[in-house]
Amino acid sequence: MTTPADRHLLAMHRSEAAVSVELQTEDMVLNIGPQHPSTHGVLRLVATVAGERVRSVQPVMGYMHRGYEKLAEVRTYAQITALVNRIDWVSGFANEIPFIVAAERLMGVEAPERAQCIRLILTEMFRISNHLIFLCSFPAELGAPTPLMYALRERERVLDLIEGVTGGRFHPNFNRIGGVKPAAGGGSTQRTRAQDLPKGFIEGTRRAMTAVRHVCDDLENLVLGNEIVQQRTIGIGVLPADKAVEYAMSGPNLRASGVPFDLRKVEDYLPYDRFDFDVVTMPNGDNYDRCRVRLEEIRQSARIIEQAVDSLPGGPLQAKVPRVIKVPKGECYVRAENPKGEMGYHIVSGGGRRPYRVKIRSASFCNLQVLPWLLEGALIPDVIAILGSLDFVLGDVDR
Amino acid sequence: MSIPRSSSGKRLRSVVPGWGLFKGMWLTFRTFLRKPVTVMYPVEKEIPPERARGVIALDVEACTVCMLCARECPDWCIYIEGHKVQQPPAEPGGRARTRSVLDRFDIDFALCMFCGICVEVCPFDALFWSPEYEYSAESLADLLHGKERLTQWLATVPEPPALEGSEPEGGEP
Repeated sequence: MTTPADRHLLAMHRSEAAVSVELQTEDMVLNIGPQHPSTHGVLRLVATVAGERVRSVQPVMGYMHRGYEKLAEVRTYAQITALVNRIDWVSGFANEIPFIVAAERLMGVEAPERAQCIRLILTEMFRISNHLIFLCSFPAELGAPTPLMYALRERERVLDLIEGVTGGRFHPNFNRIGGVKPAAGGGSTQRTRAQDLPKGFIEGTRRAMTAVRHVCDDLENLVLGNEIVQQRTIGIGVLPADKAVEYAMSGPNLRASGVPFDLRKVEDYLPYDRFDFDVVTMPNGDNYDRCRVRLEEIRQSARIIEQAVDSLPGGPLQAKVPRVIKVPKGECYVRAENPKGEMGYHIVSGGGRRPYRVKIRSASFCNLQVLPWLLEGALIPDVIAILGSLDFVLGDVDR
Repeated sequence: MSIPRSSSGKRLRSVVPGWGLFKGMWLTFRTFLRKPVTVMYPVEKEIPPERARGVIALDVEACTVCMLCARECPDWCIYIEGHKVQQPPAEPGGRARTRSVLDRFDIDFALCMFCGICVEVCPFDALFWSPEYEYSAESLADLLHGKERLTQWLATVPEPPALEGSEPEGGEP
């Protein structure tokens, strides 16, 4: 039998329990995206949050699926080159390289030295352009829109050079099987008239590289030296080396975790072994290091371009290839160091003008795998910072 | 729930608190005093390079209605129609020749992805790139440029730019 005193006690317990239930809120499902400015496109994150902490995150992708692999099956090789520019539109030229090299290897053609050097210079220019975009978008996501102006200003110089050679700023469509083909202003008379780098390109490149180095110093002061940015990035989103390897990260994200793996040193798709450059690694694998790796890589790319421009070999731009390009039966996988990581094309050719099947391994898609692990336990404001630091493009994720 | 993770590396803290902020502000201030790099677009314009792919120009005289461009176009945005006419023989007693006459040559710039394949495959020098870019329209239908409009662009086609350094001897096979 309960006495009134006991009942009072019981009532007290109940009220206490009610209070603690009120404090212990239920987990909430928060949809970040698909229309969110900081998700770089249409990525949707289904986050289960407990207060300000993220319990689990599930990325939902595919909003921008355009079916590149299927489109490639009904297009000739020359048409696919124009298509693959659009996979990762921030680094259009770098997307073409592995595809063209894979097709060339199947055909047994090798591009002449000069063509390979021009390919290399332009790939590195697109790497600079891509990393400058990162250095403007990442601080902007942290709330600092000023670096955007500085980074885009110098990127414009690089894009002008690219446009002068290829005719396109974003989508150069410049590689042909067996060499490169500078876009001509004067119609198809280009067939009889040699089309090469336009006058002033080398001089302009040297000037642009000086400007790019200069803006790197500026951005280092402006972004990396900024105390607020440091507090938002240091020690946040830490990705240890073993986890990075486990999740098949590639590119600058992997190197920021301290793994010195760079396909430019490993593979031989372009003559990188002729040039002297360092593989930039950082020890910690946090947001700050991912930002820093990219800044240093701009400097390394500028170094490669300067060396390449100094020792540009002469000679033809095109190897001898038949007019109607038919790739012999077989399959080939070529991977290359895209600005965002490893990009590879597996071409299966049935021997015709069109490939039988093209499998695209894109860097951003594979780098996104780590998101559920990386975002677990993060604060909601840090989610955006971590997302931004991974540097993905949704076109590259969904293809 | 949360896995505690911490960065073990060195922390880049400046000696004087706020020195990093000050350096950034100093850069902003210096840039504030510089001349702007932007151009005021409708009043002043940037000149695109000669090779810029702005719009496609057509030389009607050179076109032989071979349809190569329409076939090679990756997004099938070129529409060509033509008919054949009988030509009198060049010398008396010769064989009468047929010649193709271009009736319709439309490029739908709403579909075009500016890859330049048509310009490249044209065997008769009928298509050219022009760096002209100011042809935006209020409706998609206005972006379908017909034969006459494409011919007008021909006047804006520049000479190919001078080349850098040594001339390659190979060229296109």
